[in-house]
This record gives sequence, C-alpha cells and structure tokens, in this order.
Amino acid sequence: MIKFKPVAVVALIGCLLTLLPMRLMAGWDELNMTQGVTQVSQDVYEIHMMIFWVCCVIGVGVFGVMFYSIWRHRKSQGAVAATFHESTTVEIIWTAIPFAILIGVAIPSAKTLIAMEDTSNAELTIKVTGYQWKWHYEYLDSGVNFFSTLHHDHNAARQLGADVDLSQFEHYLKEVDNPLVVPVGVKIRFLHTANDVIHSWWVSDLALKKDAIPGFINENWTVINEPGVYRGKCAELCGRDHGFMPVVVRAVSQDDFASWLQQQHAATDSPKSRQAVSTTSSNDVQPQRTAVN
Amino acid sequence: MSSTTTADHHDEHHDHGPQKGLARWLFTTNHKDIGTLYLWFSLIMFFVGGFMALIIRAELFQPGMQIVDPMFFNSMTTMHAIVMIFGVVMPAFVGLANWMIPMMIGAPDMALPRMNNWSFWIMPFAFAMMLGTLFTDSGGPAGGRTLYPPLVLQGGDSFAFVVFAIHFMGISSVMGSINIVATIFNMRAPTMPLMKMPLFVWTWLITAYLLIATIPVFAGAVTMLLTDRYFGTSFFNAAGGGDPVMFQHIFWFFGHPEVYILILPAFGVVSQIIPTFARKPLFGYASMVYAT
Repeated sequence: MIKFKPVAVVALIGCLLTLLPMRLMAGWDELNMTQGVTQVSQDVYEIHMMIFWVCCVIGVGVFGVMFYSIWRHRKSQGAVAATFHESTTVEIIWTAIPFAILIGVAIPSAKTLIAMEDTSNAELTIKVTGYQWKWHYEYLDSGVNFFSTLHHDHNAARQLGADVDLSQFEHYLKEVDNPLVVPVGVKIRFLHTANDVIHSWWVSDLALKKDAIPGFINENWTVINEPGVYRGKCAELCGRDHGFMPVVVRAVSQDDFASWLQQQHAATDSPKSRQAVSTTSSNDVQPQRTAVN
Repeated sequence: MSSTTTADHHDEHHDHGPQKGLARWLFTTNHKDIGTLYLWFSLIMFFVGGFMALIIRAELFQPGMQIVDPMFFNSMTTMHAIVMIFGVVMPAFVGLANWMIPMMIGAPDMALPRMNNWSFWIMPFAFAMMLGTLFTDSGGPAGGRTLYPPLVLQGGDSFAFVVFAIHFMGISSVMGSINIVATIFNMRAPTMPLMKMPLFVWTWLITAYLLIATIPVFAGAVTMLLTDRYFGTSFFNAAGGGDPVMFQHIFWFFGHPEVYILILPAFGVVSQIIPTFARKPLFGYASMVYAT
C-alpha cells in the first residue's frame, strides 16, 4: 500500500484545484450575479464580489483552524483535552474583528443605497402599475400607456403543458406582447404602484427591484448604458399567475426612442390603429380568473 | 400472586406506573412522555412538510407548468413553510426542552405538568384544522407564508381556518414557554445558580421569553387580517385609510425574533454536545450566556 505524506496530498489537491477554474470559468457568468448594464448594477456587483471574497477569507480561516484542530488533536494521536476556558482578551478580539468587517462592508453598501434612492433630475418618468397578472406602463411626460402581458404563444404553450415543443421558444415564459421601451443614456425615474395586491417590479440587469403597493407610490431610477433587451419578473407573490407576468425592457438609442414614441402617438391618435394597438394588449390577456372570491 | 396481595395493603401511595395504551399518551403529565409526543409530532410533520417540498421541486424541475395547478403550488409553498416552522422545528425543540431541561437542572418534572399536556394536545388539532383546508373546495391557503395582505385576503375560506390554527399554535407555544420559564426559575437544584445552568437551558430561557413577547403580536396581526376580511375593517386596506405595509412591520416584529426562536435552542444543543465529546469545558461560558 502506498503511503502519502499529508503535505503531498494537500499539494496534489492544490494542483488539481488550480486546474479546475479553466473548466468552471466557462459557465461562471451564468452562475454569478449579473454585472448588469448600469452604474448602480456595476456598484452592486462590486459590493457583492467584495463581500463574497471577505466571506471566502473568513470561511477558509475559520474552517481551516477548525479542521486542523480536529485533525491535529485527535485522540488516536494521544491528544489530551486542554482545560482552559475563559479569556477576556480573546473575547474582545473576536468581537472587534467582525465589528470592523461589518463597518467595512457597510460603508460602500450605504453609499450605493443612497445613490439608488436619489431620483432627482430624471428626464423621463414612467409609472409602472402591477395588476394580477400583467404590468401597465405609462410615460407620464407623453401620455403613452399600454399593458404588458405574457406573450400569447408562451401563454398558450404553458396552458397546453407537456404536448408543446418548448425548444421553439428562445425565452420561454420571459417574453411579453408589448415590452417597455426606454432610451439609453437618460435618467429614467420609475413610479411603482399596484392595482390589486402587492407586486414587485424586478429587472436584475438594471439592478432595479421595488415593491408595487396598492395605494402607495414607490420610486427608483436608472440610466441604462447599453442598448439591449433586459428581462425580469414579478418578485412578490401575487397569486395564481405570479410566475407568468414577466418584465421585458427594450433599451434603444435616443433617436430610436423618439421615433418609437412618435409611432405610439400616431397609433393612439388614429382610431383605427388604436384598435390595433389595444387588441394586442387586451386580446392576449387571458380571461381574468379572479383567484378565488 | 399471594405475595402481591400482601405487598399491596401496606402502601396506599405506591406508584402504579404509567397508564396503558392510548390513555397513557392522552392524559400524561410526565415530561418525558410529553417530550416524546412532541418529537414524534415533529417527525410526522417533517414528512408532511417534506412531501410538500417534493411537490414544489417536482413542479420546478422544468420551466412551465407540468404537474400541479399554480394555485395548488402556491398553497404548497405556503403550507410547507407554516408546517416546517410551527409543526417541525418549534415542536422539535419544545420536545427536547421537555426531555432535557428538568434533567439538566435537577427537577423531577416540569413546573406545570397539566399545562404541559394541554400545550401539546392543542397542536394536532391546530394542524388538522390547517391541513384539512387542502381538501375543501377553495383549497388551502395560497397567499404565501408571510400572509401579506391584500393577497392573503383574496383566498377562500381556508383563510379563517388558518388564522384560527395560528391562534392555537400560538397558544400552545406561549403555554410551553410559560412552563419552561416557570420550570427554570423555580425548580433548579438548590446548588445551581443561573450562571451555572447548562447552556441549552439558557438558550431555551431566552427563546421562551422571545416567544412570549412576539407570538401575541403575531396573533394580533392575523386577527386584524381576519376582521379586515370578514368584519369590514381597513387596517391594511389603503382604500379605507389603512396601510398594507403596516402588516409587514407587525409581521416582522414577530418574524425576525422567530428566526432566533428557531436557532437559539440549536445553538444550545451544539454548546452541550461539543464540550462533551471534546472532553473539555465550554470556552467562554459567561460570554456565551451574554451573547444569547
């Protein structure tokens, strides 16, 4: 039987661990918290990573000492239990260190939290109203407003269940009929409220999540840096179809946004196309099944 | 045979031993029997709650809807949480407290043995009432374990059953806590001052006080939900001048201490087991007590 020295085993495991990242890093971005596309989401990501590494150091330190003690002082090696049991110095040290660490992580967290709350000087205000089970968006500056509901094909597929080939959908259950369209590089203020029960409008790429409470208005803001489609969900249990009221935000250039807004105005101005616009939003709404009651 | 007859008539007060069969468990005032009942109840509820978790995970195995209706899914998540918190973790620790505290402090039994019996036997009825709603037409509660209004007020009449079940669970917990506090303060061996009590006893003393302080607040909150739903009050209805967020504040006045209620006895267990098997005294007993 081959006998390994403990040091050799540790070194071998260490070598293997250094090889692991190459394979693991491939899926890392999927696994880790998103960095998002706004300054705030970047800040949130950095705080997350900083606290993650602080936790790693604490974890390795604490479990290292613990496992080493258990291994080194085992009974079969003739270890005799020590009988010391009080030390004020040690108590003070291991109270002060966590306190210092908490203050250390609280400062950047508080800075970001304060930044998140500062909705002043917004150039565009959008009111988001949660309904069971859809979102209503209203551009308060221009009066454009519409409902955003789970895309009809996705809704049909989930109602039919297992008989549908789901691979045809790229973003199954994360697609809506009318996405929220917003410009990039502009400070947007969102006002959140709800019509029936509490919802929560959540888009992780924008680091936005706010409860929508009936009778009350909450607010938050964002400046999106990159054009793209960002997906989110309702994050507060709101009844039967809580899982089926996705959020889709399409961030476009400021010119594209202006022309989109123009188009929406034209649509609402002519009665015929208004019909067209409203059918997409109301026909796709599934029959209102009131939960119970 | 003849020897028993002779032995009997000079001792009128001798111990007849426990009653036989069901009566033993129904009418017991023995702290170990009641502790055993609590632990069995907890184990059974663990399988009930665990089965609900299996349904939840089976449904989430793939995106979309496969196995259960969303309403039933929501009622599984809601019931799973309530069963696991009130039916598994809390009774498990009350069971351990019943078994261990009298023995750890040198008491012959709990201070209030009949109340001990009562506080256990309320629980099966409370849970029968709550779990029974699953078999009604309107289904079980589906408003989430935090019972946030207005959503929770949309449910069927299972809501009223859940509120009463929570009241019963609360009464059971508060009675159990009063019993533990009374036992610890009045029935310690004469040579055991507070600062010599085993750490498990200390953690349970603090837990019992947390329960006595927070459970009535929770009971008040669900009662306000009940009157909002059935008696036309508007505590949590913005349209009537109330505030849905106020429920969240009141709920978490209970909910936050509740996490300590669930973890403190476990800390106590760890603080007994490790010193025992490491064969050395607990490091920093006094600081541990103050930290508790």
